Amino acid sequence: MKLFSLIIIAGWCSLTVHAQTNATAQSSPASATTNSPDATRPPRTPPRIDSDSADFDLVARTATYRGDVRVDDTEMKLTCAWLVADVPQAGGRVNHIVAETNVVIDFTDDKGQTNHATGDKAVYVYSEQGGVTNKTVTLTGNPQIENAQGTQAGDVIILDLANNKIHFDNPHMIFRQNLIGATAGTNSAAAGTNDLSAPKKNDE
Amino acid sequence: MNAKANITRASLAAGAVLLFAVAPGIRAQQNGVQHANDFTSTEYYGPTNQQQIKSILSGAEALPQPGGLLIIKQLKLRTFYPDGKPEIIVTAPECLYDTMSGTASSAGPLQLQTGDGKFRVEGEGFLWRQSNSFLTISNNVRTVIENGAIMNTKP
Repeated sequence: MKLFSLIIIAGWCSLTVHAQTNATAQSSPASATTNSPDATRPPRTPPRIDSDSADFDLVARTATYRGDVRVDDTEMKLTCAWLVADVPQAGGRVNHIVAETNVVIDFTDDKGQTNHATGDKAVYVYSEQGGVTNKTVTLTGNPQIENAQGTQAGDVIILDLANNKIHFDNPHMIFRQNLIGATAGTNSAAAGTNDLSAPKKNDE
Repeated sequence: MNAKANITRASLAAGAVLLFAVAPGIRAQQNGVQHANDFTSTEYYGPTNQQQIKSILSGAEALPQPGGLLIIKQLKLRTFYPDGKPEIIVTAPECLYDTMSGTASSAGPLQLQTGDGKFRVEGEGFLWRQSNSFLTISNNVRTVIENGAIMNTKP
């Protein structure tokens, strides 16, 4: 009876069965490859996300990483306890990432200065509107950035990756080195106080 | 979604049974259940798109186990969009497929990648729930995203 049912189902599903000519498993595609090296920059390796475990919802197209999550990019490293990223369609790209709990981001800005950012939550958004690329990381939950000039904090910190700017909402800064150098290096802190609580379209 | 999932599950179960009956490389076992070598099972989209392949499941060997279980070796599952473009490719050296619950699991490694190969995942120990296309990887998960840096600070 069971076999009969399965045969009926098989017909319903237009099932075909045939011998496979190439049954050996495909060799691992997961080994990291590097892009062609630039003369002035270190070779850019593809971004990598490592974690203890992960769930992939292929209907909602989301990947949820848990436990010792590490995002490793050429110029940025992020660690956190929990991270959700969208799984791109073929030919697409990752447009949205949310990292939560003990978020730490170490990155190098366009001046070559290293920065150490922390917060409870970070949201990465990538979008293209009218030929303009928006790429931001919004840090919330006691966010702050530490660099050679000192520690800069705010209610919200937005890393504008497309324009290499950092915006602070309600900024407060703690200078550690000379004030002149620090002020010159943080040009947008005061100006970005009021209206940068969410990523906005860039107007280059 | 349940209907689609049922089709997939039924397809695999039926495929497993049918291929044991007709595919080359069949060997009869003592209990009457047979196993198959180098098999492929193809699932098509529904009535509106019958000619379009939805998924192709293949393996080097399928070993029926009691309780509706199948040990599949050299598993390769390829899914396709309705327009025929590849969607997801999943490979695993071995897994245990439960034809009743529509789940596949293994303590061993698994690799997954999008059709264009630009989003690749590997890890060890997994559970695949076919009903809702949900994959859990338990250990050492590594994802490589090939299509440009996701957070590079320098353009």
